Amino acid sequence: MNSTRLSKDPYSVIITGVGGQGNVMASRVLGSMLVNNGFSVTIGETFGASQRGGSVMSHLRISETSSWSPQIPKGTADIIVSLEPIEAVRVLAAYGNPGVILLSNTRPIFPVNVIKGDAAYPSVEELKKSVRRLIPHSIFIEATEEALKMGNPILANIIMLGAVVGLNILPITRENFRTAIGERVSPDTVDLNMDAFDLGSRLGQQ
Amino acid sequence: MSYLIDNREGVQHLLMGNEAIVRGALEAGVNVTAGYPGTPSSEIIEAFSKIAGDRNIYAEWSTNEKVAMEVAAAASFAGLRSLCVMKQNGVNVASDFLLHLASSGTRGGMLLVTCDDPGALSSVNEGESRLFAKLVEIPLLEPGDFQEAKDLTTWAFGLSEKIKNIVMIRSVTRMSHASGNVTFGPLPETVPHAEYSCDGPLLDTETGPVISMILAAPELQHGPQQEKLEKAARLFEDCPFNTYTGPEAPELLIVTSSACNLYVREAVHLLEIDDRVGILKLATTWPLPPNLIKQNLMRADRIFVVEEVLPTLEGNIKILAADMAPETGIKTFYGKHSGHIPSVGELNPDIVVSALVRILDIDYRPADATFEYEAAALADTMAPNRGMTFCPGCPHRASFWSIHHAIALDGRNGFVCGDIGCYVMGTLPSGYSTVKTLHSMGSGSGLASGFGKLKQFGLEQPVLAVCGDSTFFHAAMPALANAIHHKSPFTLMLLDNRGTAMTGFQPHPGSPVDVMGEPAQAIDIEAICRAMGAKVEIADPFNLEKTQEMLNHLMEHGEGAKVLILRQACALSPERRGKKKFDVSVDETICIGENCGCNRLCTRIFGCPGITWDNDKKVSRIDTIICAGCGVCADICPVGAIRKKEVA
Amino acid sequence: MQCFGSRELVDNVIRQDLCIGCGACNDLCPYFRSRKGTTVMLFPCTIAKGKCFAHCPKAEVDLDELSTTFFHQRYGTDPLGHYDAIMMSRAGANAGTASFQAGGTVSALMRFALERHYIDGAILTDRKGIVPTPRFVTEPVDVLACASSKYAAAPTVAAVNRAIRKGDTNIGIVATPCQALAISKMRSNPLNDHSFIDPVGLVIGLFCTWALDMQAFESFLSRRIDISTIKKIDIPPPPADIMEVFTDKGKTEFPLTEIRQLVPETCSYCIDMTAEFSDISVGVVEGQTDVNTLIIRTDRGRELVEEAVSAEYLVLSDMPGEKVEHLRWAAGNKKKRGLAKAKEKAIINKPAGTGISYLRINDETLNTICP
Repeated sequence: MNSTRLSKDPYSVIITGVGGQGNVMASRVLGSMLVNNGFSVTIGETFGASQRGGSVMSHLRISETSSWSPQIPKGTADIIVSLEPIEAVRVLAAYGNPGVILLSNTRPIFPVNVIKGDAAYPSVEELKKSVRRLIPHSIFIEATEEALKMGNPILANIIMLGAVVGLNILPITRENFRTAIGERVSPDTVDLNMDAFDLGSRLGQQ
Repeated sequence: MSYLIDNREGVQHLLMGNEAIVRGALEAGVNVTAGYPGTPSSEIIEAFSKIAGDRNIYAEWSTNEKVAMEVAAAASFAGLRSLCVMKQNGVNVASDFLLHLASSGTRGGMLLVTCDDPGALSSVNEGESRLFAKLVEIPLLEPGDFQEAKDLTTWAFGLSEKIKNIVMIRSVTRMSHASGNVTFGPLPETVPHAEYSCDGPLLDTETGPVISMILAAPELQHGPQQEKLEKAARLFEDCPFNTYTGPEAPELLIVTSSACNLYVREAVHLLEIDDRVGILKLATTWPLPPNLIKQNLMRADRIFVVEEVLPTLEGNIKILAADMAPETGIKTFYGKHSGHIPSVGELNPDIVVSALVRILDIDYRPADATFEYEAAALADTMAPNRGMTFCPGCPHRASFWSIHHAIALDGRNGFVCGDIGCYVMGTLPSGYSTVKTLHSMGSGSGLASGFGKLKQFGLEQPVLAVCGDSTFFHAAMPALANAIHHKSPFTLMLLDNRGTAMTGFQPHPGSPVDVMGEPAQAIDIEAICRAMGAKVEIADPFNLEKTQEMLNHLMEHGEGAKVLILRQACALSPERRGKKKFDVSVDETICIGENCGCNRLCTRIFGCPGITWDNDKKVSRIDTIICAGCGVCADICPVGAIRKKEVA
Repeated sequence: MQCFGSRELVDNVIRQDLCIGCGACNDLCPYFRSRKGTTVMLFPCTIAKGKCFAHCPKAEVDLDELSTTFFHQRYGTDPLGHYDAIMMSRAGANAGTASFQAGGTVSALMRFALERHYIDGAILTDRKGIVPTPRFVTEPVDVLACASSKYAAAPTVAAVNRAIRKGDTNIGIVATPCQALAISKMRSNPLNDHSFIDPVGLVIGLFCTWALDMQAFESFLSRRIDISTIKKIDIPPPPADIMEVFTDKGKTEFPLTEIRQLVPETCSYCIDMTAEFSDISVGVVEGQTDVNTLIIRTDRGRELVEEAVSAEYLVLSDMPGEKVEHLRWAAGNKKKRGLAKAKEKAIINKPAGTGISYLRINDETLNTICP
């Protein structure tokens, strides 16, 4: 088990992505894991534009005492998990700080104005370099590609969750995940989710 | 078994605000629940429906919010506890009945749960439902955190029964769609018995008919209604959910409610000013309990009211403060009128921080300025905005494509009156900017009915309207009846995607199954329109050519209102979600890309997220993870480079 | 020639009421379509030089360039254009019968051309109700179904574009002067496409003094007769000065002075009465209902006529000199009026870089016809 205490209270995690990526599911699983371990969790979700190409963002506040604002104050995120690379940059600008830890999937989902040619999507390699110049702690994971290899791109969110737990920062464990995911998916897919989680844990530790 | 009916007292669950409201109602023994879908309120009826069997609950998605309130009121009249739920805009729809219900009063505890959307995150406006409580003279409660969302709901049922009137609970997006730890109380074991006692004297509130009828004798009902409100104010004096935290005599008293309570707590924590400011968090925001307000106003000379959208609480407190001034002294107020808190958009901790910094003259630097500058510059160059668009495979994209073509080819500058649903995006380039009016549910058809009658004043433009299947039942039917009756010439395009798609695919009167999964009588939209007297055609919007031709024909021929039902299931509907009809691919050797003859029609204009542009090879490609396999893009490709192969 | 894109086409042709709806910009791409004679642009296109502009008969028409391409000489001063011979003709014994206008020359020639595989397919103009609708036919017998005159402007060139996109070659076309001009612009490969192969095998041009605005014509007629029962529309040769419309209830006559109100503005700029850019031009003969004027302009045209005569699909006779002169006088008048109007509007011979011209014509011809 990782530490049973928080390094900071409230501790703030953002999970971001694009509608349809399983962002809300990921934040709820992470939240349940923490509540099951006795923490007070507040999750704020912006998903009005989900499924319509919009950005989706969940703010998790983890505390030993009480509920906190479902919106994190600007510049105070501790961990940012992004299921899409440019969303990582967007959230970094609003909520990042030099000490933030960023975990990002590398597979782009093009905004419609990029598809139309009104805006350019950056090269992911350039994006990684720029992010690394800005913050010392960033991990990029080919989560969608790995998930495709496992048979379903939606597992990318579980791989990213595994990576978060793999950081050994939050007071939660693999067993917490098994319990939380077991409450949400059909029993025959628990093993597949565990495999995705374990893969993510390994990738997150690199 | 749903965790919402976990019967272990004291157990903690992570609940969404909406779920906490549901649990609170369950702990109060609610039996009848009704609503109309609308973000951020929709999860409430969904949750009730899932546990309907376990807890002997009746849940329904009503035709509209007014009907939902009437359905819930009937249960109250019969002695049951009931709840109706809607988003802010829905309260406008229900308000006609609400005005009368507030006058007649209720019997079994009855709540109106309204979920407002400050910032209009998923609404066409950020309307204020709180003002209705004052307007129709009923109590208003606002939970300040997730535990309270549950507890206050339970408490509200008792309040409703004590004052014999409906009680309004107002949540906001950041409460309804946020989650937090909630400790459960016991679930009651009650056996409900519904009976409507109505044989007693006319104005007997226990046994007489429940009527709203003042008829030149306002003292008979309006008087007692105001007494109920006064009683509520007295009860609010000791309401356990109105709390004060902070020093006995702070420099500044912050008065707040709802999600703003959490922003205030966060701001005070960030600024480390717990010893300088006090927080009066009010759960009972109308009517305000005067003694409680007075006691707290006595604490400080400077009062800062933190609330979202309109200065409702601020105004009400100022009215009391004016009356109390001889006792409390003159106060200095900060809030909307002083310009410290905006009246537009939702709040967040940062807005509260910057207001407090100004009021208390605090030297506070929120972030590393260099980092902030560099990160913003990076986002500017690397994170293009993510505009809203229709989902991949959405039938509306295809419908608007054909509507756009038909209007352009018609050549008379026709326009579409819009309505409420995902198809509000018809106003944007993603819907080819075809929609030219947008207001409330059903208003597209009503406006079209009016435009249609302007021919005698020289209006030559063809008039069209869109509405979805759920919107049709909700509010477009009366408008269509009006148009047909008055022979107003317009073409209604009924975008029938088989559910209330925008809010998560809830059933409506045209659906064969209700929210609880029970078989329901599906009402045939086509038959209704024909019976009303409209000329009705049906097309599959994925058949672009036929749809456009039918539209042009309808615009040019026939008199009065015409209906074109564009029938194709939502890409997220159970019948289509995750099931591709076609494997779609681009033949790179045929795609002519940016060249004359195409100029990237599929990516530059059609704009489905499932198609991307390969700027190196100068060809389009299909993102097979995103593509929903509708195959429509294959039909717009001018050179046949996009291929669709039926999935075996 | 100067070539631009869709934006200039919309600004300088469609918005200036110069578009006749010939269909030259239709079916080249997804952006231009026409319905009932009106051409619309559906979405903006960003291409700087497009076929839509390059093929348009009302935008940057360089007559010298076209004349050099097709007739190997500058655009001359004869109002009848470049030609080889002018005669009178009518359908021969083997050409079949139909409700021809005048002598049936066009139908006879097209049928013959298809039967002898002189061309592989033909674009003709049929009608749906009163809406002229282009049609691609490969069977000789289908030619007769499209016989008879249409008086409203038709997007016939759109059908040519469609046939080309399908890969058809050696196409025969019956075209009005503006349509023939659009086709000749297309055939001159204005965008210098290296893979260009001329898909056209034969152009038979029709004399034209004006066409009717389709929507105006439809609304004019529908206020007076039941347009769904129209069988045939005819304008007898001058000096009758009427239009005859035949319906279930018989014949209705409308004075041409009323009908001419329905002629779009753009026809008044037109300088081509006899479809100068075609292999063969065919028209009426003043005062005669059973014979056509036939102008042979190219070797290919001559070859077809000669074979059709020997196969008894066509019968020729000499055209009296005074009739030729009358025709030349009429064609010259039209040219003069069109050029004068274009000059007045300053949309002719603009120096390069100073704007877009409707027409470019050499000074000698311009000064001869319209001093």
